[in-house]
Amino acid sequence: MTSKRRPVTYTTDGVVVRTSNLGEADRIITLITPVHGIVRGVAKAARKPGSKVGGHLDLLKHVSVSVRETRTLHGLSQASTLNGFRGLRDDLDRFSRASYISEMSERFSVENGANQPLFRLLLDTLESLEVTTNPEMIIHFFEMRLLQLSGFSPELSRCVETGVDLEPANHLYSADRGGLVNSDARPVGESALLPASLNTIKLLRFLSRTDIAQAGVMKAGEDENRQLSRILRAQIHHVLDRGLRSEAFMDEVRTRPSHNDEPKASSGSSSGN
Amino acid sequence: MAPSEIAPSAAPPVARLIEAFHRLPGIGPKSAQRLTYHLIRMPQEEAEEFSAAILGIKEKVVLCNTCANIAESEECAICGDLQRDGTRICVVEEPLDVVAVERARVYSGKYHVLHGVISPVNGIGPNDLKLRELLERLRDGSVTEVIVATNPNLEGEATAMYIQQLIGPLGVKVTRLARGLPSGSDIEYADDSTLAHALESRAEIPQRQSDSPE
Repeated sequence: MTSKRRPVTYTTDGVVVRTSNLGEADRIITLITPVHGIVRGVAKAARKPGSKVGGHLDLLKHVSVSVRETRTLHGLSQASTLNGFRGLRDDLDRFSRASYISEMSERFSVENGANQPLFRLLLDTLESLEVTTNPEMIIHFFEMRLLQLSGFSPELSRCVETGVDLEPANHLYSADRGGLVNSDARPVGESALLPASLNTIKLLRFLSRTDIAQAGVMKAGEDENRQLSRILRAQIHHVLDRGLRSEAFMDEVRTRPSHNDEPKASSGSSSGN
Repeated sequence: MAPSEIAPSAAPPVARLIEAFHRLPGIGPKSAQRLTYHLIRMPQEEAEEFSAAILGIKEKVVLCNTCANIAESEECAICGDLQRDGTRICVVEEPLDVVAVERARVYSGKYHVLHGVISPVNGIGPNDLKLRELLERLRDGSVTEVIVATNPNLEGEATAMYIQQLIGPLGVKVTRLARGLPSGSDIEYADDSTLAHALESRAEIPQRQSDSPE
């Protein structure tokens, strides 16, 4: 198989998922793109007030940008915003959830690995998060679809231990084995089996075959939402072999009982990773 | 990277210094080599001054107990200045931002340095910032306004929102630095957020006496 040499300079669209400062005024930008996968590049002088690209290359913006390839960090220029997702920028809860899905997208992407479906999923989810009144289910939909796109679709019809079709009842979920386990067939040596009520199983099956618009109108009870979170996150942690840094902040914002709670005295990292 | 990998042919003390410079932000291997060879050519007394200055910042510099800015003692010069307006606190991300605001010579209140910004993807949350110390400063009720001067990017905005939610209920006025078009820039190149903020914060052009038709 012959590999085509890509042009030295190309224009692509992408979503900014990470930024960090470099030198006096430059910024390193990480983008998820549909054709080139993860692209890391330097936007020169992007931190200066008069920069033509700095305002465009901010986190969680869908941008068009010119990429000049080099052996190390690429050069980024001529950026323009395609969608600034303003609804995510004025609301702390939506921002925390968008950070979570952008970090997940980055972890599931690779450099030079075209992934149009993942890119489309990221854009659709950010657009939905801007306006939805049901962000919990949008996040669950994203988690489920990301697992499916990555080849880690959870087994929800048969017991992953015995292979027998599951009866409609409460069961357990094994992230190690990637699916539901019949409540009577506890595998030997299995350390982390998560409870999955009948309603939670129905919601998992619904999420595995629906689209984002339908997911956005599906309501779930508090218990079901909690079980969905635990199951889908456990599966993602198992696939990535680690947790996600943005989870801690998302959970903190979501569970804060009132706005005037003080941050804890501890000065340690909030990430728990 | 080990010293021998950056400068394999250099003498060990030279390679060690190249490696030390290379660890600094924004210094690549070439710049590290250039700086090292500049120091080799430097007169002995200048080199001693240089090394004493580096040691000095580690031995003598502390964080101000009140505002967390860099100081020589437990209270920085700004917090100890009784002429400054103690009813206003300008909250900034880093000590360098204090220097930048001071350079403008229009603000006479006090500061509070967060030492970072909320960045979920980097695992930096509110507990990693000097927010608890900020709340402590607001307890006695003498502060009437907190000016949030975090950077006008998404993480800066999120930190500002968090601060507003945290201290707004205490009855303290929380304001944010105005955002809009920078002086000398072109509207053509402005991003949508900047233009939107500029339009939202537009101000009437004051009419001068000499402009009236009379």
